[in-house]
Order: sequence, then C-alpha cells, then structure tokens
Amino acid sequence: MNSEFVQKWQSQVKKGTLAFILLNILKDNEFYGYELIEQVRKYTTIEIAEGTLYPLMNRLKKEGLVTSKWVEQESGIPRKYYQLTNVGISTLAEMRTYWDGLETAIQKLTK
Amino acid sequence: MKQIAFENKSAQKIYDSYFRRIRRTISVLSEADKQDVLMEFNSHIYEGLQNIEGDDEVDKLLKITQGLGDPEVVLKPLVAEKKLKQATTTFNPKHIFQAIFLNLKSGIKYSIFAILYLCLFSFGVLMIFKIINPENTGLFIKNGSFVALGTLKTTDTEVMEVLGDMFIPIMLLSALLLYILLTLGLKMTRKK
Repeated sequence: MNSEFVQKWQSQVKKGTLAFILLNILKDNEFYGYELIEQVRKYTTIEIAEGTLYPLMNRLKKEGLVTSKWVEQESGIPRKYYQLTNVGISTLAEMRTYWDGLETAIQKLTK
Repeated sequence: MKQIAFENKSAQKIYDSYFRRIRRTISVLSEADKQDVLMEFNSHIYEGLQNIEGDDEVDKLLKITQGLGDPEVVLKPLVAEKKLKQATTTFNPKHIFQAIFLNLKSGIKYSIFAILYLCLFSFGVLMIFKIINPENTGLFIKNGSFVALGTLKTTDTEVMEVLGDMFIPIMLLSALLLYILLTLGLKMTRKK
C-alpha cells in the first residue's frame, strides 16, 4: 500500500468535505466555535485544527450561509453562536443531493 | 472584553503575550472587527480551559494556543478580507492602500489594482508639477494627436499644451472619477 498517497488523498477529502460537515452539524442546532469542533470530533474521525475552523466559519458567513450572534454568559465571557441562514439551508440541500448521487455511484463502483 | 484571569503567573504571561500577537496582527481592522476577533479567540480559550482535563493552567493554555496556531498566520486571510470590505465601503484611501497591500499575495488582480491606484497617485503629482512648472506640464498634442500627459520639454513648436488653466480642475475631476470607478471595481471583484 502506498500510505503516503492515501494520506494525501484523505487530507484532500477532509478539506473538501469540512464545509459540508459543518453545515450539516448546524442543520438542527446552533453551536459556538468550541462546540462545533467537538461535534466534528464526535461524528467524524477528522481532527479539525481550531485554526482552520474560524477562517472557514468566516468564509461561510461571507458567503451568506451562516450568521452569528454573541450570547452573554454567566462567566462574563460571551459565546459566538453560529446558525444556518435560509440560503445556508437551501445550499445544504443542494449539496446533499450531490453527495447522495456520489454515494450511490461509489457504492455501485465498489461492489 | 472581559479577560481571563489565571492563577498561574506563567499562564497569565502566555495568555497576555498571545493576545498581544493577535492585537498586532489585527491592528489595521476597524474597532468592531477587532473586538469580534479578540472576543472569539478569548471565548475559544475560555471554553478550552473549562473542557480540557487537567490542573495545570500552563499545559492547558499551551495546548489551546497550539491548536489555534500562530495568530500572524491564522488571521492573515481574515485580516485581508475584512480590510478589503472596509476599504470598499468607506472609500477611504488609507484603508484602500492597506487592503491592496494585504491582498497582493492573493491574486494578480490586486497587483493590477495596485498599479492603477499608483497611476491615480501620479495624477496628483502632476497637479503639483503644474503649479511648480506650468509651462512644461499639461496635455500635449501635436497636429491633433496625443503626445504626452505630464511634464514635457520640447523644442518642437508644433507640440501644444491644450488644457492651460483647466489642467488642474480637469485632472482633479478625472482623478476623482477614476478613484470612484477603481474602488467600485475593487468592490465588485470582492463579491465574486
């Protein structure tokens, strides 16, 4: 096995799917940054670097897929919650359709 | 922003120094954007300290800041992007130059904008030249075709300066128009 090739391929797949994963996590709930990273870890084997999450969230915000709001906490240190916008919801649905198509194709291929 | 207080002095030093680096990196941003970035980093560090197991504040803090990465590197794209947004909404030349400089590495289009803005700057220089050296500065034409816009010394009697006293007002107006067009252009490339 060419493990170097597999590793590179894995990192490309992760990079390409991270936005899709994050949008799916935000589908039913709003989360703050730290929680988002924990959710990614909970559902996937992706060890997401904190340093990549925040720029990515910023990009999703710029694209109009998510919004954020600051929520005061008892500790005095507020949390920034992210949630999907309507554009985000419909964008995610479109991504889902593509993903399902890809999944079916790959299942057929790998039988 | 409420800062996190540490019992351990070393941890406090690491925290303070990390925030100094963030502040330095984002110094060109608007106050609102600065606050947003600082608060988000602060929140992340705070939540991390509550959630990571262990007692040693230094260990926990280092683990968190290492995860976040170097502010100078991590925040670079964000700073460039926010600055560009600010520049194209305020039309403030200072912000525009900072924005273009910060975005230079992210594409050839910003280099082109940089050159165009420099041309614009030269319009201003020409207006000053016109005051210092009115005879040889202006729009020069020879037999109806363009020769030069700028400062020209020539013995050719057919070369005529055509704008005269109108040179400065016309240059000022063109510069203003060009500035608005360029900035709108910059705004449009950002939206893509």
